[in-house]
Amino acid sequence: MFKLLKFNKMKSILKHSLAALFLLVSLATATASSHREAPLIADDPLADNCDLYAFRSPDNPNTITFIATYVPLQLAQGGPNYYSFGQNIRYEIHIDNDATKPGDEILYRFTFSQTNEDPSTFFNIRLGKQNLKTTYTLERSIDGGATFQTIVQNGIVPPPNIGPRSIESGVGLGTTYASLMSNAITTATSGEKVFCGTTDDPFFVDLGGIFDLGDSPRQNGTPADGVKCFNVSTIAIQVPIATLRKTGAPATPVSILDSDYVIGVWASASRQQIRTLSNTGVPAYSGPWIQVSRLGMPLTNEAVIPIGYKDYWNAITPYDELTDTSLDGFFYNPELALYMDDDLFGGAVPAFAPLRIQRKSLQSFDFGNGKDGLYGLKGNPALAGTALDDAVFGTLLLPGPGKPRSVDLWPIFHTGVPNVRPYQLATGKNGNPLAAGKPFINNFLPNGGDMLRLNMAVPVTPRNDPKFSSLGIVQAAVLGLTDPAYNQNTSIQFIPNMDGFPNGRRLEDDVTRIELQAVSGVALAAIGLWYDDYTAGGTNPVTANLLGVLTYTTGVESNDVALPATFPYVAAPQSGTGSCGGSIVTATTDIFQGGGGLGLSQKPVLMKNYPNPFSTQTTFHFLVNQPTTISVRVFDLQGRYVTTAYSGPQQKGEFKYTWNTGDLRPGMYVANLYDSNGSLLQSAKLVKPE
Amino acid sequence: MTQLLKHALGRLLFLPLLLSGVCGSALFASSHREAPLIANDPLADNTDLYAFRSPDDPSTITIIANYIPAELPFGGPNYNTFGENIRYEIHIDNDAAKPGDEIVYRFTFTRENEDPTTFFNIRLGKQNLKTRFKLERSIDGGATFITIVNSGPVPPPNIGPRSIDSGAGLNSDYEAIINAAITTAATGEKVFCGPADDPFFVDLGGIFDLGDAPRQNGNSRDGLGLYNVHTIAIQVPISLLRKTGAPTSPVTILDPDYVIGVWASASRQMVQTLQPGGAAPANSGNWVQVSRLGMPLTNEAVIPIGFKDYWNGITPYDELADTSLDGFFYNPELALYMDDDLFGGAVPAFAALRIQRNSLQSFDFGNGKDGLYGLKGNAALAGTALDDAVFGTLLLPGPGKPRSVDLWPIFHTGVPNVRPYQLATGKNGNPLAAGKPFINNFLPNGGDMLRLNMAVPVTPRNDPKFSSLGIVQAAVLGLTDPAYNQNTSIQAIPNMDGFPNGRRLEDDVTLIELQAVSGVALAAIGLWYDDFTAASTSPVTPDLVNVLSYRTGVDKNDKPFKSSFPYVASPWRGTEVGQ
Repeated sequence: MFKLLKFNKMKSILKHSLAALFLLVSLATATASSHREAPLIADDPLADNCDLYAFRSPDNPNTITFIATYVPLQLAQGGPNYYSFGQNIRYEIHIDNDATKPGDEILYRFTFSQTNEDPSTFFNIRLGKQNLKTTYTLERSIDGGATFQTIVQNGIVPPPNIGPRSIESGVGLGTTYASLMSNAITTATSGEKVFCGTTDDPFFVDLGGIFDLGDSPRQNGTPADGVKCFNVSTIAIQVPIATLRKTGAPATPVSILDSDYVIGVWASASRQQIRTLSNTGVPAYSGPWIQVSRLGMPLTNEAVIPIGYKDYWNAITPYDELTDTSLDGFFYNPELALYMDDDLFGGAVPAFAPLRIQRKSLQSFDFGNGKDGLYGLKGNPALAGTALDDAVFGTLLLPGPGKPRSVDLWPIFHTGVPNVRPYQLATGKNGNPLAAGKPFINNFLPNGGDMLRLNMAVPVTPRNDPKFSSLGIVQAAVLGLTDPAYNQNTSIQFIPNMDGFPNGRRLEDDVTRIELQAVSGVALAAIGLWYDDYTAGGTNPVTANLLGVLTYTTGVESNDVALPATFPYVAAPQSGTGSCGGSIVTATTDIFQGGGGLGLSQKPVLMKNYPNPFSTQTTFHFLVNQPTTISVRVFDLQGRYVTTAYSGPQQKGEFKYTWNTGDLRPGMYVANLYDSNGSLLQSAKLVKPE
Repeated sequence: MTQLLKHALGRLLFLPLLLSGVCGSALFASSHREAPLIANDPLADNTDLYAFRSPDDPSTITIIANYIPAELPFGGPNYNTFGENIRYEIHIDNDAAKPGDEIVYRFTFTRENEDPTTFFNIRLGKQNLKTRFKLERSIDGGATFITIVNSGPVPPPNIGPRSIDSGAGLNSDYEAIINAAITTAATGEKVFCGPADDPFFVDLGGIFDLGDAPRQNGNSRDGLGLYNVHTIAIQVPISLLRKTGAPTSPVTILDPDYVIGVWASASRQMVQTLQPGGAAPANSGNWVQVSRLGMPLTNEAVIPIGFKDYWNGITPYDELADTSLDGFFYNPELALYMDDDLFGGAVPAFAALRIQRNSLQSFDFGNGKDGLYGLKGNAALAGTALDDAVFGTLLLPGPGKPRSVDLWPIFHTGVPNVRPYQLATGKNGNPLAAGKPFINNFLPNGGDMLRLNMAVPVTPRNDPKFSSLGIVQAAVLGLTDPAYNQNTSIQAIPNMDGFPNGRRLEDDVTLIELQAVSGVALAAIGLWYDDFTAASTSPVTPDLVNVLSYRTGVDKNDKPFKSSFPYVASPWRGTEVGQ
């Protein structure tokens, strides 16, 4: 009932806002993305949404790039059946651009199929053939999912990046991974640029620390990026803004915060309801499609929704949240806030010590869990014309006592933030948070629940701009409050990083940190609800508490590999044979060990060398069973004599000789071991890398 | 000896009745994500199976079945655990005369949230997705089951010190949690179910990049190092496992009445119906096997992709009637890469592994060649396992099936202690003559299983002669070590309790199977490599030395094993592993 009311309110508010000011809401949130985030979907990796990104393309600002990643934590070395997208799954990207129309406006649906080109091998790639070769169909609906048109057929998904033998050599595909990736970029019949394939996971987070009861940054030990070295299955699509903006929007935005240029984006995966296994375990699928995973804002279902509701959250749509009443409480009083409040469990999570919530902002307002926040202002004439005015917004933002974060966390995740008082920076407010201030965000689209909301009119911050920051809007707020280039007046002005999370989400944005800061009240501070150590009327609101929050870091702030500057912007997948393909083996069984038992002792001399490959020297280790004069002669791969590494008589026993390779040119060589008769006893391959 | 042989031959006579084939050797390494369908259902994915006589309690056998490949120690917030609505089963056959399993252990799991209000897995002494198991046992081939453990504990994930040790977490100690989870069943078995370090080791990245092991360029890497699995370990008294009617103590260390076959599986119900609102899916219908495992690497590197899902869906007993799979053992794909007339040149890492193409200047075991088939009907075969009068056409089914005498029986029947399956020691150059016994895990009851002769003594893990080469090393010792190569009498040779006579945690099965594909088992029984000629003074030729000294680059686990049950190392802690 309440939510229906909420919905109607949102719609009426929207109209209202079109006519006059606007409406609601505001800012911040909780921890980091959505890998294995709910119990059911953790057991169905193929259908598991990992992350969703939506940003104005830096190299093509007439377009928006959406990136939806699936299938978490793929091992680069995960053979023999490397990872790909699943068959019989609908992977979808949903876009809403008009809050007055129910449901999605645009829907992209990706489905995948696999074939084996050579079912006679257990290798994935052999002699130019690939098994589990994956292609996709892309369909688009522009009528809310009622009808679909196919806009890409037989789209190419690159093979797994198994290693140089499989990808580059003649016994494999005889190509390069870079060309496989670029060949897989397709233009849809309706103009979108599309890529589907395995990539490096662009997300970064200290999974091990943060889920050990919030130990981030680690209090003992070094933070580690838990998704470093892992791949994901990426769907990337670049869509002209002209295709995305709402019907009736002006062809160019009226301002850089034009409310007609706001879109909401979410991604999902669905399976058919009934899976029937044959007697030998082969599944068949039937029945209606059921959503099993979704993702809008990062980390909602990872660190805001508790385990008892995670599966439910995955199954409903953002639009279902309009009538849902079970989830709002997790935003009004978020679990993470318990660990940032010394009256609750703040002392139990030392890593969050710099993150403390306003308990007495402006000596009045308590945003601790269970407290009233701004509810005490309810009905106060000072709220007139603001988003907190009951006459304008009903009870949405001040629904009742004991719901302190209804004014910041709740709207950030449910409606986006309008460019309306009090949701403007404190700059120009002269100490009154309810006064008009410096605009910094308008991604308000009151159409339902959890989505990424992006105002496409906001200019792009170049990635090489010295003011570019992975703190996104938090950094835009900091600049708008403190940088003389932006804090001189309250007029609308582009501030770098206004195009960052939570106004959409760029690949670089450190959403874990931003959301933890938001839970700690940084959005409240930005609009003038300063931390407790600022005394109202004081000269400098940049207090120790605020600095503590702003300088808080999880210790993992950027992706482990560089992001390319062009579509699809995500990096090539880690190679199965590369440094991410398993842990280095430091000791292997000594070939001399048990040599007697192996019968190896019947060889007069055994040799091994290490390191190999080597740069300037390698050590030969000999086991001499019969005294003889030995020599080690080095040949190139064409059999041409290069040099003699060692020569001399030896007694029974073991000895070592370190060979300085001198000016030996990089390349591969063969070291032959000869006895005094010139008989070849053993060959070893030597590798000197470039 | 004669007695034994008769006994063994008597057993072999069952063979034609039951099967269509027999004997010997194996291939490659384990079963992680090994088939397309099961790779997408990790909870039900068998990864490895071990069966060995317990070093610290030799009156028992320890069976370890692992599931859920490559678990991230830091894979929060919902760490891996056993799945609900899955039957995890360990199957034991001890009597080839009776169809199907004799003993089945069935593990099922339930999960519970002790505190559904948090997104953390463990908080303030409460644990979410807390898992418990029920263990049922059948001793009538699966017809009826009795519950022998009710509500056994499964340790929580080893998240980190705050979750496990601190007062904000469980205020405990992970080793204490593991010890507390070891349960004794109502029928006497010791049981442990929980996360563990994956005891398997293999250079996945190298080997599946078209066989690049050891890596020709760069360091070999353990593709499973630092990852966990979920382990089911059960220690069963030999007296419960041996066949009905077996003597209470074995007659010899190769007593055929002490052979068991072991395999593991996971099954799901036929129909899964997703529910609205994220409620748990409903499951109904018959149980369907979706994963199985017996010998390591069968379905990873012997069965090609077109048959992998099928292989997972059938039982070892179904293989009796199956005719589609034998060819992958008669002419294994891996052998293509060890043969210079085929694709040997395309896989430089296998250069040291070459198959006998002209053994004893007569026998060609290259793919498509005849192997020993030319001896068919020859009087010299009389009384051997290759004698048509004894075994029908099982071991010599036809021309062009060279590995019907070694790889096929290793995976399908185990190896009997019958000529020619004895070491060359004492054979005086005739591979068909009686030699030194070294294995008898013959149980011609079906297809792919781990077969273990429980009578074979344990090699202490600290014995200087202990080797991860298993039976290959026992063969080497029996051929070359004066302590074992003086006569043909039955004698305990170290590592006769190793793979493929069962499988110990330490056994380097990848290496052993690659050596086996390269013909090492043939060499052991006197079918030497091509460079052994009439002029040779020793059969230990460079070709043999190359095979024996071949290494994949990864030959032991990244974490030491425990010396007592459950033997597997504790799981990696989420906060101790970083890349």
